[in-house]
Amino acid sequence: MNAAVRMPWQERRQLLIWLVPPLLWFAVFMVIPYCLLFYYSLGSTEYMTFKPGFSLANLIRVFRTEPYLSVLLKSARIGALSALGATVLGYPVAFCLAFHTRTPRAKFLIYLLVIVPWWAAYLVKAYAWKTILGTDGLLNALLLELHVIREPLTLLLYNEFSVVLTLVYIFTPFAILSIYAQLERIPTSIIEAASNLGATPFETLLRIILPLSLPGVLAGAIITFALATGDFIAPALVGGPNAIMISNVVINLLGVAFDWPMAASIGIVVIGVGTALISVAQYFEHRSQARF
Amino acid sequence: MTAIIEAQGLEKHYAGAVAVKNLSFSVTEGEFLSLLGASGSGKTTTLRMIAGLEHPTAGRILFHGRDITGVPAAQRNMRMVFQDFALFPNLSVWDNVAFGLRLRINRGRVTPEEIKARVGTYLETVQLSGHAEKLPHQLSGGQRQRVALARALVTDPPVVLFDEPLGSLDASMRKVMQIELKRLHRTLRKTFIYVTHDQEEAMGLSDRVAVLQDGELLQLAAPEEIYARPNSEAVARFIGTANILTGTLRVTNGDPTVELPGGERIRLLDSIGSGAAGRTVTVMIRGEQLKVGPAGAAVGEGLAARVAERLFLGDKVRYELELAGGGGVRLTALAAGGASRFVIGEAVALSVDPSHVRLIERPAVAAR
Repeated sequence: MNAAVRMPWQERRQLLIWLVPPLLWFAVFMVIPYCLLFYYSLGSTEYMTFKPGFSLANLIRVFRTEPYLSVLLKSARIGALSALGATVLGYPVAFCLAFHTRTPRAKFLIYLLVIVPWWAAYLVKAYAWKTILGTDGLLNALLLELHVIREPLTLLLYNEFSVVLTLVYIFTPFAILSIYAQLERIPTSIIEAASNLGATPFETLLRIILPLSLPGVLAGAIITFALATGDFIAPALVGGPNAIMISNVVINLLGVAFDWPMAASIGIVVIGVGTALISVAQYFEHRSQARF
Repeated sequence: MTAIIEAQGLEKHYAGAVAVKNLSFSVTEGEFLSLLGASGSGKTTTLRMIAGLEHPTAGRILFHGRDITGVPAAQRNMRMVFQDFALFPNLSVWDNVAFGLRLRINRGRVTPEEIKARVGTYLETVQLSGHAEKLPHQLSGGQRQRVALARALVTDPPVVLFDEPLGSLDASMRKVMQIELKRLHRTLRKTFIYVTHDQEEAMGLSDRVAVLQDGELLQLAAPEEIYARPNSEAVARFIGTANILTGTLRVTNGDPTVELPGGERIRLLDSIGSGAAGRTVTVMIRGEQLKVGPAGAAVGEGLAARVAERLFLGDKVRYELELAGGGGVRLTALAAGGASRFVIGEAVALSVDPSHVRLIERPAVAAR
């Protein structure tokens, strides 16, 4: 630290030149928007126009007025379920990628298969689920064809289930990559040592690999939870009226009701609660990180 | 003396490359056998095949005469000490050592009280009782090594496999651990199979040494035997300081001698068949058997040479010598006593007791 302070002026100036673009970026796109958000949340509206003010009434309304709080909780629940789904589905893939893929070529191929869906637009992929799950969708057509059902199922689409399913599908790659990065760090010799001591593959998984991969699991869960909770495309496309999420509420407040202070207040609450949750998860992530 | 482990025609191929070639040997119960070789000699692959961590391309592995080639690693009653120790980083020292005993394979066989007692005993054996609650990363290299050792021994396996276990320790720690290993082997009376590239370590620790090169077994014998009577140039070169000389067999005054390219003659004690005279042979003289004396003082069998290089090594002096007779023959002599009596460029006379001149019978393995 002292070294940085005693850095010659010329070096400091050079460092400053390098730092200006990122600092500028950070200020324009992060600090100022957050300040604006906070500023708007303190104001009020009169005949659909913003009136600056200094009141916490909107922030309190988030917790007091329905449906804000219940939608917020529902979003968190959908986010948590999506994170759970992505982790449960992603873990075996990451495991396979880390331990059961021998050649670099096969590894690259699986890696590619995980990444490739991200080359397609999110909107298209979410829409695809609509065509799969709908009353005239692929799944119903298949089930009808196989005579499993007589009437098309309507419970597949436009509910929480379809939202979670879509979100899990969209965000599982994040969980896979995060878990894989952690599994890759486990030396092969540790797994060999466990088996050499007489452990069955399941015992090795339970006692060694799972505990060692916990930080990756948590990191992946944090990312998928944050992304899923704040999502607005999946609920808009496959959610229906009962699976409205908090982002949809914010969009409506902004674009339909022109209640910017209320929208900003919800934003502040989401950011606050999200930051707190992520901090707690990150604490556990660091605590569970074994030193190899 | 029964064989506990037998390798029969073991082969391992990796994507076209051959790591181990037609390897056969047997390990006697209770012995300390070293697999010695340079990197790429196939020694670790052989050990891993015995452990079941690698499946042989061909050949069989027997345990007490029973074929275990297809038995998974977890069901072979052999414990391995890994080069990188392979301790479980999420478990304490105590839990690392107790790991094997707590597995399903030992359920019903070992009671919790017994686990406690045995882990305690073995931690004491490796002098780590005070570190039981620590995590592996909080230990020094030597301590980690001891944990790995305790973890391997606590389940009381008949065979313990070592994959260069001292490779990552510093020189002084290695010496301590070598003595520790030798003591453990003597007291526990288990079969130890030990992979190393360090010839001194192999010689010092083992009852028998198997020298491997390019996946092939060159010689398997007691250290003394391998040192004194290497069966090939490769073995001779790999172990100790060896002078390998090629010359023509002659018979001088009824005694067999080897005539070097420069005309010098070295007497042999080995009897040679009649009619062998004139044949080209290879002999080996150990560095410490080559006596360096002042020029002219030696009589009869002294070889005139010149000191090309001199290295003072503390307990001995290493001379690089060039024979005066021409032919560019260079020799290495290790003079005991530590007195560096001769200087670079000085003319000296070399002598050797004929009983220490070894005819290397098998032709040397062709260099790659």
